[in-house]
Amino acid sequence: MPKSKKPENKEIADKKKYSRRDFLAIGGAVVAAAATPAGVATAASPGPEEVSYPASKGYLVYDSKKCTGCTTCMLSCSLVHYGVQNLSLSRIQIIQDSFGKFPDDIQIAPCRQCVTPPCVINCPVGAAYVDTENGNVRRIDEKKCIGCQTCLEMCPQQPHRIVWNHFTGKATKCDLCIDTPYWDEKGGVNGKQACVEACPMQAIKFVTTTPDQKETEGYDVNLRNEHWLNLGLVDDSTVVPPIMKNMRKFGAPPKPKAEE
Amino acid sequence: MKGGYTGKILRVNLTNKSIGTIPTERYEEYGGGHGIGSAIFFDLVGDQLPFEAFDPRNLIIMMTSPFSGTFMPGSGRCEVQGLGPMLYPIEWFGHSSFGGRFTAQMKFAGWDGIVVEGASDDPVWINIVDDKVTIESANGIWGMDTWDTQEEIARRVVPSLKDGEWVEVGDGYSTQVPAVVCCGVAGENKSRLGALLHGPGSQAALCGFGGVFGSKKLKAISAIGTGSVPIADPKAFMETRLWFNRFQWDVDNPREGDRFITGMYRVSAGSPSGGNVTNGQIPLVPARAAACASCPRGCRMRLASSDSNESVCAGTMVFNVPGSPKFTRKSNDLMQKYGLGHWQMMPILSYIRNLNQRGLLGKGKKIECDLPFEQANTAGFNELLMGKIAMREGIGDDLAEAAARFSQKYGLYDEDISSGNLRLTYWGTAEHYESKIEVEWSYGSILGERDLMLHMMANYPLHWMAWSGDPFLTAEEAAKLYTDAMVPYEGDPFMVDYSEGPTGIYSDSKVKQVAWVKHYEKFWVGCGGFCGWRWPMCITCTTADRRGPTPEAEPRFWNAVTGKNLTFEDSMELGHKIYTLDRSIWALQGRHRNMEVFPDYVYDEPTMMGNEMPMYIDGKWKYDAGRGRKIDRDRFEDWKTRFYKFEGYNPENGWPTRNTLEGMGLNKVADTLKSKGKLG
Repeated sequence: MPKSKKPENKEIADKKKYSRRDFLAIGGAVVAAAATPAGVATAASPGPEEVSYPASKGYLVYDSKKCTGCTTCMLSCSLVHYGVQNLSLSRIQIIQDSFGKFPDDIQIAPCRQCVTPPCVINCPVGAAYVDTENGNVRRIDEKKCIGCQTCLEMCPQQPHRIVWNHFTGKATKCDLCIDTPYWDEKGGVNGKQACVEACPMQAIKFVTTTPDQKETEGYDVNLRNEHWLNLGLVDDSTVVPPIMKNMRKFGAPPKPKAEE
Repeated sequence: MKGGYTGKILRVNLTNKSIGTIPTERYEEYGGGHGIGSAIFFDLVGDQLPFEAFDPRNLIIMMTSPFSGTFMPGSGRCEVQGLGPMLYPIEWFGHSSFGGRFTAQMKFAGWDGIVVEGASDDPVWINIVDDKVTIESANGIWGMDTWDTQEEIARRVVPSLKDGEWVEVGDGYSTQVPAVVCCGVAGENKSRLGALLHGPGSQAALCGFGGVFGSKKLKAISAIGTGSVPIADPKAFMETRLWFNRFQWDVDNPREGDRFITGMYRVSAGSPSGGNVTNGQIPLVPARAAACASCPRGCRMRLASSDSNESVCAGTMVFNVPGSPKFTRKSNDLMQKYGLGHWQMMPILSYIRNLNQRGLLGKGKKIECDLPFEQANTAGFNELLMGKIAMREGIGDDLAEAAARFSQKYGLYDEDISSGNLRLTYWGTAEHYESKIEVEWSYGSILGERDLMLHMMANYPLHWMAWSGDPFLTAEEAAKLYTDAMVPYEGDPFMVDYSEGPTGIYSDSKVKQVAWVKHYEKFWVGCGGFCGWRWPMCITCTTADRRGPTPEAEPRFWNAVTGKNLTFEDSMELGHKIYTLDRSIWALQGRHRNMEVFPDYVYDEPTMMGNEMPMYIDGKWKYDAGRGRKIDRDRFEDWKTRFYKFEGYNPENGWPTRNTLEGMGLNKVADTLKSKGKLG
């Protein structure tokens, strides 16, 4: 595959409707829009045009405390979409610091399927769009993409959830596995997602309810149950796993009844 | 080459600072990892053997596998090969491995492995960013501990690196930090127990390759890439990966979860996080389970205190500060920072205590040593000891030669190895499990070049299951199910009979089991980058019928990735070929069957504790510890004779024969052995 970096094209730059800074400045308005009823959002006075989009009928939520950093989700993503294993092409990113302190040592970064999608709003050529035929998933048509990287710059998340395909010079993003040439499973909002299916910790979940758009917590949720706690993996040192309440020391068998 | 390989192996000569490549295709017949490493070693320096490990001619070979960089479960390890200065009495051509994500980043950068030749005059490190490779000065890094080294190199490779940002790297963009493997101060000072460290706790602990890095003035290798690992049949690969889910620990609804996360099963049954033994007392330190690349288990932890991050097993338990998990973790972390090999640090610690108690080591004693033994088991004592070894100060200078050579210097080796005061049972490396009972491990080690270190062969699935007091299979069921998976020798349950009876540890069935262990070790573990805590999986508690994915999974994954049509039988033949090549190299170094014997205590001292294993006694299968057993010299020698014949080696000396070598296509190896008078 040819390798391509971002094109430097003044005409493309001129097509950008407004900057990431402009978008961030109206962040409060977007939050308000996210709370609008009936799943329809309106970006209040975001720029030269008033736009509204139907909310996606599906989202990926995750539990960053349950993640082990194995990157199986990333590799399953690149596999089903491109037929290769490549972390840089994955539309979900796991960012980790082996030397870091739990829970800040791992960040999970999939597309949020924003209620008010800056990538769609700002694409100068309409390559980023809401796929109304497939559950309103926010997608990018790579055939239309001109590689201007406006969507990368406008994505307010860190890291940006638009993924630059450096082989083709096009922007890509999570499509909830609607288009997976290398996986025969039906994807999208009524199907399966490769990362969800492959995650050995079951730390990624597909949901149909729109998460709170305001903060990361809307997407980073608790997917652990008592079985996880019983592994001795607590997020609060005052918590005693149920199975340990009858133990002298974890790793040792429960006290024989005669000793109790 | 359809899939799995990037097609080229990096070749770096530190003497003349040249950088070249070796086409992987030239060595594709060996599969990957260990097999390719052995073949390259033989081709480049085989005819120059023997020479010493710190000779610039020694190589550091770090190979990936076709699975590296893919989501093949439990395949993220990096195989390191070369002459091992830790090994005794000869610095055998040895191997060690470490987990993490180094091999994945090597593959994404476009490399199937790296071969390092020669030695630099000045400290250097190797910088791999996609296909751009440079030899960089280690000024300002040489002398750093292993953790600071990795942080500093990551900063130098990607100056704009900030957690949570995409950064431009090589040909594309990445959110990942470079994967760095390095030696510590111990390695810089050519310590024979110098380890290689990647991340905070992933060690290549055996053989002393940290010391070889130091001898080459090589501080570190860093890799980061944005490329792809090609997959021959992506659909089949995805389908197989999802099929494998049934063999994993179901974290939300584990089968008999309460049973298999307590007691001995905590570590052995495959649940997440059990490898770190320092965080099991209330109050627990908040932590996550942390995995190597693509591992569905995640046996490690990362803690809210960030100490003992990613260390497991010996990496968390060489040092124990009674009553203080915190200072236990700090002491073991210091071992990781100095780059001291945990599996050699452990016998050194117990041996110097033993010598001190015997009045042989201490202030004013035969072996002068100013360590304050009255403060043993404190963090301060541990810090003093490790500092001396890493810096080669005082007694540390002798201890840096590792336990065997230290003992030999003071004229104690022969006595202490015979008596078992010094339990370096396998070529200068420590005894692991009871050598008189769990013989697939002890035989497999003495017929190798170091401690076998493969828990999943029979140790976790059979010994720890029995040891739990609550085995999920009877001994008879376990023997049948386990050996059903041992293709091509399946159908002989006595392969896992650990009794002393006619079908037990001296039998032809045991010949087959040990051959299977060595062949699986060489191909799947060595060439596939498999973790010895994950593979093979002949039985498992995670399925209703207790059958594991072995032997179906291995070739199914291999063929999906590479596009080949490998059968499990084929893979074991390749394992046999690679084992034979390794034995040929050892023969060139001076190996003879007369050396493949245990220390006297294994033959003379009855085991008190034993080691629960399946045994066929008086016509019935049972779990038994075999207490009171000694290995019988004559019966073991007779067993060895049959093993050598079975493998195609001359029973007179244990060397491969021309017929065997030529039958494997190793004609050139046969010629070299012949020219050196080592052909069997």
